Amino acid sequence: MRYMDKNLREIHNAIISNSVTPLELVKEAIELAKNDDNNAFEYICEKEALEKVRKLDPSKKNNLLYGIPVVIKDNISTKDIPTTASSDLLKDYVPVFDSEVVTRLENEGAIIIGKTTMDELAMGGTGTSGHLGTTYNPWDKTKTRIIGGSSSGSAAAISAGVVPIAIGSDTGDSIRKPASYASLVGFKPTWGRISRFGLFPFAPSFDHVGYFTRNVYDSAYLLNILAGRDDKDSSSSFEPIEDYTKHLEDKLEGTRIAVINGVIDNVSDKEILNSFNKSIEYLRQNGAIVDYVDIDLILLEAIQPTYFIISSSESTSNNANLDGIKFGSRIEGKTLEEVMVNTRTNGFSRRIKDRFIIGSYSMLEENRNELFIRAQKCRRLIVNAFNNVFEKYDAIYCPAAPTIAPKINLKEDTVFNKVNISEHYMAFANMGGFPSITLPLGFENSMPFGGNLSSKPFQESKLFNIANYIEKGTGLSDKVAKRD
Amino acid sequence: MELRAIIGLEIHVEMNTKSKMFSDAPVSFGQLPNTQVSAFDMSFPGTMPTVNKQAVINAIRVSNALNMTIDNVLMFDRKNYFYSDLPKGYQITQYFRPIGRNGCLTFNSGDENITINIERLHLEEDTCKQFHVDDFSYLDFNRAGIPVIEIVTKPEFKSGQEVRKFVELIRSIVVFLDVSHGKMEEGNIRVDLNVSLEDDNKRWSKVEIKNLNSLSNIEKAINYEVNRQKDLVIKGKTIGRETRRYDETNDRTVMLRIKTDSVDYRYFTDPNIPPIKLSDEFIKNAIDTSPELAHVKQKKYKTLGLSDYDANLITNSKETCAYFEKGLETGCSPKTLANWINIQVQKVLKLKCISINEFSISAKELGELILLVEEHKINNSQAKSVFNEAVETGNSVIDVINKNKTNHILDENEILDLIKEIINSNQNLVNDYKNGKEKVVGYIVGLVMSKTQRKADPSLTNKLTVVELRRR
Repeated sequence: MRYMDKNLREIHNAIISNSVTPLELVKEAIELAKNDDNNAFEYICEKEALEKVRKLDPSKKNNLLYGIPVVIKDNISTKDIPTTASSDLLKDYVPVFDSEVVTRLENEGAIIIGKTTMDELAMGGTGTSGHLGTTYNPWDKTKTRIIGGSSSGSAAAISAGVVPIAIGSDTGDSIRKPASYASLVGFKPTWGRISRFGLFPFAPSFDHVGYFTRNVYDSAYLLNILAGRDDKDSSSSFEPIEDYTKHLEDKLEGTRIAVINGVIDNVSDKEILNSFNKSIEYLRQNGAIVDYVDIDLILLEAIQPTYFIISSSESTSNNANLDGIKFGSRIEGKTLEEVMVNTRTNGFSRRIKDRFIIGSYSMLEENRNELFIRAQKCRRLIVNAFNNVFEKYDAIYCPAAPTIAPKINLKEDTVFNKVNISEHYMAFANMGGFPSITLPLGFENSMPFGGNLSSKPFQESKLFNIANYIEKGTGLSDKVAKRD
Repeated sequence: MELRAIIGLEIHVEMNTKSKMFSDAPVSFGQLPNTQVSAFDMSFPGTMPTVNKQAVINAIRVSNALNMTIDNVLMFDRKNYFYSDLPKGYQITQYFRPIGRNGCLTFNSGDENITINIERLHLEEDTCKQFHVDDFSYLDFNRAGIPVIEIVTKPEFKSGQEVRKFVELIRSIVVFLDVSHGKMEEGNIRVDLNVSLEDDNKRWSKVEIKNLNSLSNIEKAINYEVNRQKDLVIKGKTIGRETRRYDETNDRTVMLRIKTDSVDYRYFTDPNIPPIKLSDEFIKNAIDTSPELAHVKQKKYKTLGLSDYDANLITNSKETCAYFEKGLETGCSPKTLANWINIQVQKVLKLKCISINEFSISAKELGELILLVEEHKINNSQAKSVFNEAVETGNSVIDVINKNKTNHILDENEILDLIKEIINSNQNLVNDYKNGKEKVVGYIVGLVMSKTQRKADPSLTNKLTVVELRRR
């Protein structure tokens, strides 16, 4: 009997009915992780997990997460477990503290069985730039397609059925894009809803901790555990938390949903459009009002460059601590300054250095107004435009990506990509801190694709409610990529 | 044409809060290197800043003491630069919105009252301490993250003496407000200054002098630098834009580096610290509960009857004020207590090279000793010998008094009985007194003193003798 491709409630019931023990679950997940052929893992916590599962507090048996194996993206701090952000510079870094998400998961009885691969320092969307190389899409048996990123390993592990939940981070669309490529539910909450304490910062004003599940209920349930104020993260919200599973089945009558013309017009894949339209029909049949609304194309086109300038600028500052002086793989030199220069020159890949150069360039006095300040103004305008839509609508709904997972192209220069609205628009939710969820819509040539829903800040309950209906309409939940 | 010096200051005050500016690591000085450190201070990835409330309260109090406008939104920015003593690769500071703006401070220098405008006061975190021994560089992160207040004045000082007086006053303010230990020799207060010359037509380049850590060095460095610059101007040479340091051994300033275009710090608001609204109530409360400044205490002490001189001496140090106020709780005379502190106590402190906190006689003991004199239980000279013996032996005042039976002093009735006995045994004394021989009084007092081994209070005895003689 295999459990790791089941959903949380099924596994939980099996534990409660004594059909399986947490130890057996953890052993199953570790065995699957060891046999992973998608390059999903930075580190498999076999020893640590087996130790923790033996120390599980049986009084927590009724928690849904009790004994559930999970994986954690490798930019999230885990005490005494290596955390590398898939960068050579941090290949030997072992944190001295747990991130808040890890603490919360473990308090519920979840067991971390592995740390997952990612684009180096979360800067990338392909899953090809980590120091261990390309992470593959489990749905593609030819190993020629990306899983997307930057939460690549987490997406690969859960869609391959290694674990039922996987933690990631989302700065532009780093959870929600891979979710589309892997038939997953990928969620990031309102900025400030889940503590970022312990998340390696890339661009803090865009950064979110989020996660993958294989169905909407599990996604809503996980927020119950992870949401809430954390004094260690000053930006975490005091807004009261809710039971996010409570409104999943609420009727959709009167719910207003907007499709953004500029995004949908940019999608040409007929299969994707077809499935998307079908899901809209289903929403309408259930009482939702779905309208097509305009947002100024100039603003939609500005999302990617704006995101790029601000995130690169913030990233230079956030990664300035990686200098080999205090931790990380130091490369010696005659002076401290030489140590710093040598470490950073050798520790980062070319792509990361490109970002730092662009980020620093954007913030220099002579360029600041033209780039950094202008990007911040742009961000404000973009967020205002989406807020205007949210004044009349509960949610915005569009395809999460214009295509299925693209072919691996290691020469692809993601830094100077041509602007493509439907490819990059989801970063609007990071700019405004809007909660956002991607969920499966269909398959094309056996490769999945998804849709994305976003709502006003702190309207997660409504978001899960609509998502639940879309899931009912497609019937696509608990999908696991089959092994050969 | 007359060349005038213009000087502006940046004063860094290291706070004495319990924990650091953005982490919960303790602030404690003189500990083993790298023992007062949290993961945040080492900038381990994923750590986040949390603002120290007491540090904010301190900044509000100092801003208020400097008559500044206090911002009601607290915001922090990142100053980005690479240096090995800067763990995060940026310093969290307040660039765009300093907590205090547009203040001024009036003080006395020479015989003049001078007012200096203060541009800004902001909160920031200290860097780590870096030092080099042989071929090795060492970093001590204990200092990293200690809360710092930076005070920036307008360039309005004209002399080293003015600057010295000003820094003295700032030091007194931050010490009295419990914001800092204020020990310049330990780097709690560090001063950078800009010195330049001007005449009616021209202003010469600014020269920066960094890291001055004593009041006398500040004055000496300025005096030297002003003369050096004047000399250059007179000789027709140019003054370079440079950074210099003060070389104490040779009493001169030495060039550290030539200033190129200013470093671009790529400031931006720290996204991990959302703006914090400071309510009017919070600000008001911080100010209302603020400890008293030296000049407030001075005023208060004068209303208690202290002379300007005594009040000034006591308010020179916060510890002395505390000692004085503690002593007052016994109910002794403020004036007498101030006298004792400023003369007897200070003499001992100077001799033993200790601070009043280390003084063996507590304020309560001293107050009670004075009270014994005031209640005529002992006399002044006895009190002094008790004091001296207590200082020398380290015993408590009470122990000394008990041991010497000093407190077996005659009360009014006992003295009167003695006086009566003397007069009764020699009736001539009364007659002589009535015939105008005032000396009789002294004679009787002398007899009482010798009969009591000087345990009677002379002035009381004197008074009682006169009354008794007149009564007869």
